[in-house]
Amino acid sequence: MLLSRFWYAIIGIALGASLFLLSLAASIHNRAMRRVLGEGLSADSQVVSAVLKDDARTRAAHLIKFAVDGTIAKALNQASQSTGKIDPGHRDTIEKALKKISQDIPPDQAFDAVFAVDRGGRIIGAIGNVSTHGTEEPELGGHPVVADALHGFVRDDTLVWGRLHRIVARPVELEAGGAPAGAVIGARIIDDKFARELSARSGAAIAFYVSGSRTAAAAPEGFPKTSLDQIVTDLDKVTQDPDYLEKGRSGIREIGSDLAVQYTRLPGEAYSLGAGYAVGRVSTPVTSIFGFLDAADDKDKESVSWPLVLGVAFGALALGLIMSFLEHTVPLRKFAREATALATGKVDHLQPSKFRGVYRRIASDLNDGIDKLAAAQGGVSRKAADLGQVLGDLPATPQMAAFAVPDSGPADSAPATTVPISALSTQRNLPTPPSRNLPNPPSRGKPVQSEEDWPGVFEQFVQTKIQCGENVEGFTYERFRETLIRNREALVQQHGAQEVRFAVYVKDGRAALKASPVRS
Amino acid sequence: MSLTSIGALGARVVGSISGYIHLENPVWVESKDPKSRSYTFREMVPTVPAQYRKLSPYIPKEVAIGLFGTEAQKPGAPITVRVGGGRTTPVMLVAPPGTKIVFHNVDSFEHRLYGVGMKEFGPSNTGRGAKREWTIPAAGTFEIRDELAPSLRMWVRGEPNLMEATYPNAKGEYSFQNVAPGEYEVQAFFSGEKVGPAARVKLANRDVGVPPIVVATPKKDGEKSD
Repeated sequence: MLLSRFWYAIIGIALGASLFLLSLAASIHNRAMRRVLGEGLSADSQVVSAVLKDDARTRAAHLIKFAVDGTIAKALNQASQSTGKIDPGHRDTIEKALKKISQDIPPDQAFDAVFAVDRGGRIIGAIGNVSTHGTEEPELGGHPVVADALHGFVRDDTLVWGRLHRIVARPVELEAGGAPAGAVIGARIIDDKFARELSARSGAAIAFYVSGSRTAAAAPEGFPKTSLDQIVTDLDKVTQDPDYLEKGRSGIREIGSDLAVQYTRLPGEAYSLGAGYAVGRVSTPVTSIFGFLDAADDKDKESVSWPLVLGVAFGALALGLIMSFLEHTVPLRKFAREATALATGKVDHLQPSKFRGVYRRIASDLNDGIDKLAAAQGGVSRKAADLGQVLGDLPATPQMAAFAVPDSGPADSAPATTVPISALSTQRNLPTPPSRNLPNPPSRGKPVQSEEDWPGVFEQFVQTKIQCGENVEGFTYERFRETLIRNREALVQQHGAQEVRFAVYVKDGRAALKASPVRS
Repeated sequence: MSLTSIGALGARVVGSISGYIHLENPVWVESKDPKSRSYTFREMVPTVPAQYRKLSPYIPKEVAIGLFGTEAQKPGAPITVRVGGGRTTPVMLVAPPGTKIVFHNVDSFEHRLYGVGMKEFGPSNTGRGAKREWTIPAAGTFEIRDELAPSLRMWVRGEPNLMEATYPNAKGEYSFQNVAPGEYEVQAFFSGEKVGPAARVKLANRDVGVPPIVVATPKKDGEKSD
């Protein structure tokens, strides 16, 4: 079972290492994702800012068409001469001209409203969505963007006229070198349509907000636009971001579990009203070691080296099966065969020496059980009657080498096991030799073995049997001695030996005695 | 704007202001500063001469001319101030303390006016077409702002001895009608402060012309147009 256990340890370590590596990978992935996300959002924000600026310049360029129109300039100049009621004729003239010019502006760059104001800022004529300003002497002159236009500047602004508006304005000149006759102002409402156009041009998911509310949003295909609604929950907190307050652009903020945004304040008067836009990107943090499975798409899964993965998996499986077969199946089958032989009567007991590990112990216990059962049923005790079982296989003939070297101890001493008694456990209830003064066990330097040496041999034999997993219960020194006497007499008579020397050894996993005739 | 009917058969006080081209609207000046982040681009139109690129105020709404007597005056009728187009009309208002001011929102969206540092005139919404009243509490200068329109700033000057206030036309000309005989002072106001010297006027049953009041002079280090 050693290999199997070693394999289990390897599997356990590999599993732990895999978890460790997955955790590291998740952390590294999240860190890298945040960095990339931050860079992407910053890029998005800057692109949107540039697109907004470019959009304002493009629209301001379209205002030139209004500003150079002589009809408008003349009507504004005449209106500026009076602070009284506005002449309806001037209004009609201007609005017709505004409509005509507006038709030439591409739809995606068109204004939602165009106003023409005189030097005092009064609205003399207007087209489009002009309901933001009342009918009672409407004017726009207080706005800095209009004042700048009336003083010879072209510029943009972002105003909150109930809704967010992008504004561009430029002066209207009747003649070069004179004071502006008035100004023309173009307004574009920041609504979902505007956001869509901006998103299409910048490729960013974008949401505009003012006064803590989202006013418009748009996102590229595939981006969950509704997730941008979550910025409402974060708007209060972003106003505490020092970067947002001082630089006009926040750091990267994560909202919920899958959205990262960056806020940018809109330029213009709306800047101080908390108006701005947020660009968002979906983040895919790996929150657990199995989060990779959720985060991976089909392309990721296709890039996996499946042959390698399957090879490692099946290789490990095969190795484990082989080890299991060798250490589990093979001994079990062997035990099963022996058990079958026992059951069919081919053998009357199991030979523990054929087995290893726990099977040896089981075989020994089974043997004991068989013996006890037989004894209980009045049968003949196998242990008492079977000399071979008790002593192991005796050599059919004395080993000639033993006779060839007198006084040199057993020639075939190599297989003999001479275990020191002190080194053996005496915890168990072991058979003991007679309580008399016994000589020391025979040693390699003692050539002749007398009967007085047999208790030592007995003790050595018992210890060897224990080591081999054999049962020693009921095995007495008297029985042992009788057996040795019979064998000694037989060998002395057969070989004319003066003495017979007995040595303990292990044969086929079982304790056995070897008898060597000794001639003096 | 006549605050007080001085006399049915009174004479006129006629005058003008000059130098107003050198006044600067503080709101517009702040807005042109790039640090204010009020725009993404702001460029001059080269065909407009530099003299017209100075952010001088629209004096018919931003410069008030006051006619002062020698005694404190009682509050006159309520004065309506239009709120719309990014400013109030007028921007500069001079009246005796106790005069009621009615702010009338002519925009189609809300305004939230408040008096700077005035607890009794805190921020409050004024819807489309709605009106909000406030009475000048005492002598002094009061600034009114709008939380929903940062560029909207108005100044109210409480002047006890004010008999009448008017506004010049775009050329700087002004007049007071039906003024009873007597001695007066004419003073111009802009952005809550007096501008130019006070002109003394002695009136005796016939029209009197007031010498031009120079409300501002060029800056010593030279003025920049933008």
